[in-house]
Amino acid sequence: MASSYKLLSALLSYPTEDLQAGAAEIAGIALQTMGLSETVRRGLVGLALDLSGRDLIDSQARYVDLFDRSRSLSLHLFEHVYGESRDRGQAMVNLRQRYRDAGLDIASNELPDYLPLLLEFLSQRPEEEARQLLGDAAHVLRALRERLHERGSVYAPVFAALEELGQREPEADQLAAMRKAEIDDPSDLAALDRVWQETEVQFGPGGFGETGCPSARPAARV
Amino acid sequence: MSHFLDRLTFFKKYEGTFSDGHGVTTNEDRSWENAYRQRWSHDKIVRSTHGVNCTGSCSWKIYVKGGIVTWETQQTDYPRTRPGLPNHEPRGCARGASYSWYLYSANRLKHPMIRGPLVRLWREARKTKSPVAAWASIVEDADKRKAYTSRRGLGGFIRVTWDEANEIVAAANAYTIKKYGPDRVAGFSPIPAMSMVSYAAGTRYLSLLGGVCLSFYDWYCDLPPASPQTWGEQTDVPESADWYNAGFLLLWGSNVPQTRTPDAHFYTEARYRGTKSVVISPDYSEAAKFGDLWLHPKQGTDSALAMAFGHVILKEFHIDRQVTYFTDYCRRYSDMPFLVRLIEKNGRYVPERLVRASDFDGGLGESNNPDWKTVAFDQSGAAVVPNGSIGFRWGEKGKWNLEEKAAGTDTPLTLSTIDSRDDVLPVAFPYFGGQHHDYFTGTDHDEVLPRHVPVRKIRLADGEVYVTTVFDLLCANYGVDRGLGGANVAQSFDDDVPYTPAWQERITGVPRSQVIATARAFAKNAEKTNGKSMVILGAGINHWYHMDMNYRGIINMLVMCGCVGQEGGGWSHYVGQEKLRPQTGWLPLAFALDWARPPRQMNATSYWYAHSDQWRYETLAVNEILSPLADKKEWSGSLIDFNVRAERMGWLPSAPQLQTNPLEVARAAEAAGKDAKDYVRDGLASGDLKLSCLDPDNPANWPRNLFVWRSNILGSSGKGHEYFLKHLLGTTHGIQGKDLGETGEQKPSDVVWHDQAPEGKLDLVVTLDFRMSTTCVYSDIVLPTASWYEKNDLNTSDMHPFIHPLSAAVDPVWESKSDWEIYKGLAKTFSAIAQEVLGKEKDVVLVPLQHDTPGELGQALGVKDWGRGETEPLPGKTMASITVVERDYPNVYARFTALGPLMTSIGNGGKGIAWKTEHEVDLIGKLNGIVGEGPAKGLPRIDTDIDATEVILSLAPETNGEVAVRAWAALGQATGRDHTHLAAAKEDEKIRYRDIQAQPKKIISSPTWSGIESEKVCYNAGYTNVHELIPWRTITGRQQLFQDHPWMTAFGEQMVVYRPPIDTKTIKPIIDTKENGHKQVVLNFITPHQKWGIHSTYTDNLLMLTLSRGGPIVWMSEIDARKADIVDNDWIEAYNANGALVARAVVSQRVPEGMVMMYHAQEKIVNMPGSEITGTRGGIHNSVTRTVLKPTHMIGGYAQQSYGFNYYGTVGSNRDEFVIVRKLSKVDWMEETAVEAV
Repeated sequence: MASSYKLLSALLSYPTEDLQAGAAEIAGIALQTMGLSETVRRGLVGLALDLSGRDLIDSQARYVDLFDRSRSLSLHLFEHVYGESRDRGQAMVNLRQRYRDAGLDIASNELPDYLPLLLEFLSQRPEEEARQLLGDAAHVLRALRERLHERGSVYAPVFAALEELGQREPEADQLAAMRKAEIDDPSDLAALDRVWQETEVQFGPGGFGETGCPSARPAARV
Repeated sequence: MSHFLDRLTFFKKYEGTFSDGHGVTTNEDRSWENAYRQRWSHDKIVRSTHGVNCTGSCSWKIYVKGGIVTWETQQTDYPRTRPGLPNHEPRGCARGASYSWYLYSANRLKHPMIRGPLVRLWREARKTKSPVAAWASIVEDADKRKAYTSRRGLGGFIRVTWDEANEIVAAANAYTIKKYGPDRVAGFSPIPAMSMVSYAAGTRYLSLLGGVCLSFYDWYCDLPPASPQTWGEQTDVPESADWYNAGFLLLWGSNVPQTRTPDAHFYTEARYRGTKSVVISPDYSEAAKFGDLWLHPKQGTDSALAMAFGHVILKEFHIDRQVTYFTDYCRRYSDMPFLVRLIEKNGRYVPERLVRASDFDGGLGESNNPDWKTVAFDQSGAAVVPNGSIGFRWGEKGKWNLEEKAAGTDTPLTLSTIDSRDDVLPVAFPYFGGQHHDYFTGTDHDEVLPRHVPVRKIRLADGEVYVTTVFDLLCANYGVDRGLGGANVAQSFDDDVPYTPAWQERITGVPRSQVIATARAFAKNAEKTNGKSMVILGAGINHWYHMDMNYRGIINMLVMCGCVGQEGGGWSHYVGQEKLRPQTGWLPLAFALDWARPPRQMNATSYWYAHSDQWRYETLAVNEILSPLADKKEWSGSLIDFNVRAERMGWLPSAPQLQTNPLEVARAAEAAGKDAKDYVRDGLASGDLKLSCLDPDNPANWPRNLFVWRSNILGSSGKGHEYFLKHLLGTTHGIQGKDLGETGEQKPSDVVWHDQAPEGKLDLVVTLDFRMSTTCVYSDIVLPTASWYEKNDLNTSDMHPFIHPLSAAVDPVWESKSDWEIYKGLAKTFSAIAQEVLGKEKDVVLVPLQHDTPGELGQALGVKDWGRGETEPLPGKTMASITVVERDYPNVYARFTALGPLMTSIGNGGKGIAWKTEHEVDLIGKLNGIVGEGPAKGLPRIDTDIDATEVILSLAPETNGEVAVRAWAALGQATGRDHTHLAAAKEDEKIRYRDIQAQPKKIISSPTWSGIESEKVCYNAGYTNVHELIPWRTITGRQQLFQDHPWMTAFGEQMVVYRPPIDTKTIKPIIDTKENGHKQVVLNFITPHQKWGIHSTYTDNLLMLTLSRGGPIVWMSEIDARKADIVDNDWIEAYNANGALVARAVVSQRVPEGMVMMYHAQEKIVNMPGSEITGTRGGIHNSVTRTVLKPTHMIGGYAQQSYGFNYYGTVGSNRDEFVIVRKLSKVDWMEETAVEAV
């Protein structure tokens, strides 16, 4: 199982000559990978063979256009979880601490939430922990799979594989939020409008005042 | 259980108390607080600020935890101000507070990237060829070249290594230098003040190559040419704290709370202090709320309003009643007492030019520069040559000052000839307010207005002539009645005579009573406070074609009331200049003056106009803007012809300079055994050598390599965006109009016309940025640079006197590097690669007649163009001067990283004064270390960005008190006065990089600037002119209200007048040809600065966009929306002959009828659908604009009107443009890349 994380990490990395050269071998391994459905395995083989057979520069340009330049397909997971929130910095700090607690430190110049990097980490961890961590990101992985699938991208099976490995169904509300957040799909004007629409502020029971702030307790004077 | 049983009956909780029982200590669970603790915990706080393009320069705390930037907050440790003045804090705004988002955002550029097709070609070529040969094999093959140039803007980038990227760039540079010459390599970067080392990194590299550095201030149209015209100074302004000292604040075309947010508190505090304020803005801007009165003239008619204010002030405070302070000020500090010759032309008397000493027999005793010494009457009525005119600045010492002296004796001057007049003559003034314009109302006055002026008859060398004073002409020009009879003067403010309050009503729509009240309040306050009336003016009035008139109208009001140079008074122009305070320390670093002088500098507006072929579409004929008094036959040609004449006469710079490679010119001169200067002059005279500007479309004259850094030129500042795309880049574009070849209009006379316009002049576009901007999308190579929290740099502003650091809170993320490291790396690669084709070379450099050098004394008494056989080409006088510079291409890196020998052998200086720097060079060597070996052995090292900051700080008088004292002493030589007391107290102060990281530091007073830093007054421009009697750097040495260059006369701008916006003619050719079934409305296209982006550049910050509507928007009035059946939030298209853009409509009461506003710099990469007009992705705000040059901005070699980089030159105005607005039928979202990414 550990090797399947490493395999997916490799497939999802920026295509290099090494990857291109090793892709045929990866395809062979993908076919054997345990714990994945037949369809997903075929998909992974398809991606590996595509990377192996396609002109390297074309593969690279495709990767840049998909993952470096489309915000909604970013491989930095916290882009989808925290977006432009300030919590993102703290979350990265925590994640890196987790790597360090496990005796690993980031050797590349990537951020802690870069998915191929995270997958490599998982490949070094006990199966249960890996599944747990992956399951926490189930909604992001699902959404990315859907977006890639819509584009007909050969990368979609990687995310299908991750979902199968994580073995957890995404929380409905989180997934709904992810779907709503799909801001740079240039074909869906209505979706765009929804994103930028201001939400109505409500007061009274169940509204802003009730849940947004802690309630105050009267304090006895000493 | 019940509440009753829960409650303790016999006990109460044991709690400790403190503070005499006012506080209690409990033992409740406090683990919930951890969330907050974590939120505010950090490993370190680092001081930094925000770089490019925001004038704020606010100090920020950057919080870093575990090597990751988590957030930023405002710093609050500015030194206190003096008693009675509010403190600077808080500085910073919501936009700055959202900046850290960029660091890790999905927009971030993470790796060096190159367009796929180019990489493919390169790698193929490199298999068999050396780098330069490989580049040659690509660009010399038209198909290969087109394979990547035509893909610009269409995605398809791949990541590459730094080594590979550097190799391609270096090879392209070396090839271009060898094949065409170093002046075909150019770079554009704006606003050095905001990260001066980052700017200097690129220009240092370019300057060592002999490449061209392009200006920005004029191109952005943030430069008000009226400032150099009046003061001989680019722009010098009060710090924002000085607003507090004003008694009357006029806010004109500036939206302080929105665009100067961190400074706006001084405006608020001034209001609390009781300062009166009037706000002038056509829309109900955020600033309008601050005004006691809000005036809203029709956009673009501000000079009419200014003329009417001036009329009231002149009449009530100078003519009907004289205010002693005003009269005295005008006499001493303005050109008003100076004499002007009147001549008869076509049966009319017209003002010719200022009288010079050389006009008299014997030159009134002046033998040095008598052509450049201006003349006035003393109080006995005798002609004298007062101290301070520009003739005294060069060639002699001690009399270039504003003491009331002439020929060594006390000589107060006379302001007017009215009491000693020999006669009264009708003098003709041009009037432009009657010109027809489809969308602006004019009046029906004659185009020539004769008005009576008092004159004296005096005997000059060429006979008897009539003369009068500037003051007398000024009064007549404003139409003020002085009891001299004649037509076109007003007895009352209600007369409909130009330029009364009644007259302006039809043009501006402002009620006359408000005009009178405002002018009176303004002048009355100045009278009571000795000049504490201030005008804050901005882009809203500066971005018009005739911006000079708006500005000069306002400047005249200030001079009439003695406000300039007085604390709490004067003009506050805050548009984009972002004062680089340690300027003279920075110049050597930035332009490699330590290794070779002069550098190649080019005015960007003329450059882009020529090279993006906007001139091929010119619709404005010269005779449309000529004065009705000018002889039209003498002024033939088109706008580019005028620019070319200016280049030929050495007024403006050229890039490229000669059609022949300047390295070959130097070789040929040597082979011919001739001095290069003679060789070039003779070659040009005979026609063997040609100036590049005469044939910009000839491939030999194309720019070939372009660097862009710290800028989004193709997004936010490419006026005529679509022309850039077509001609410079050679890619998909949306131009709708036809060029002059197709329309059959008059073509240029001096410039060669090619029927086939070039497409894709640039071989290589390289952009350095930290985000994928619109410019990056159009580049061939993008290099990821460090953001503002990842590098060490310096930052200053005109809004406050502090110098701030940018600090590396964290190392550059992913593969990015600081600009310094990027260019240093490039220099290293270039040095190795260049050896394939280049060695030590001689380079012939042409330099225009520069301001603040003896070259500014060009042609004094008339204009003669050698190119048209009117005179001989005389380098440095009637044409550019010619210098040979030695380049050492294999040692560019060694030179880049060491402080060169010229700092010791020649020294340093600025603005016309020079001083020695051995002491500082020694200091820098001790601070940075000495280079141990190689060609720079023994010189101070400049290895890191911090080393570079120390070079700046050590050399600049503003940050090294010892240099300041020396610089003041040097200036004292010219003025004959002692100024060193201004810095003496700070002589031992040396500000270093680590000092400013500890706390913001105020700079030291320096002669580079006209204000001072002191405990008694705020920084205010013109202060040292008025209080230290240092002349303004103009022809009279005074504030110059009368402009007597022949080109100023020809275009009707000797004196300020109202001029309506020009007709750009972009509507009629297209309005009926592109119908989509929706109603259309024609609106004036206005592009102010925004609220939801970081200043003018960054409109892709999601935190900010969330507060707006997310994508491109335009604001329009309810009335216009109704006319075109548009409702709020509709998608609309705005188009004209230049191109089209798509946006949402914001229908608002804020906007007056007739105009549409689109905030500056909305990105093409954010939510931009396709356009029905162009069939491609919708354009940006610059898609509907095109640059139109103004000939008066091309004047050179004439005192204050001489070229200087970012000082004088053509400007890129854009507000005279109109667009057709209509609803979009269907919104078509187009895919980002042409090749489907799957």
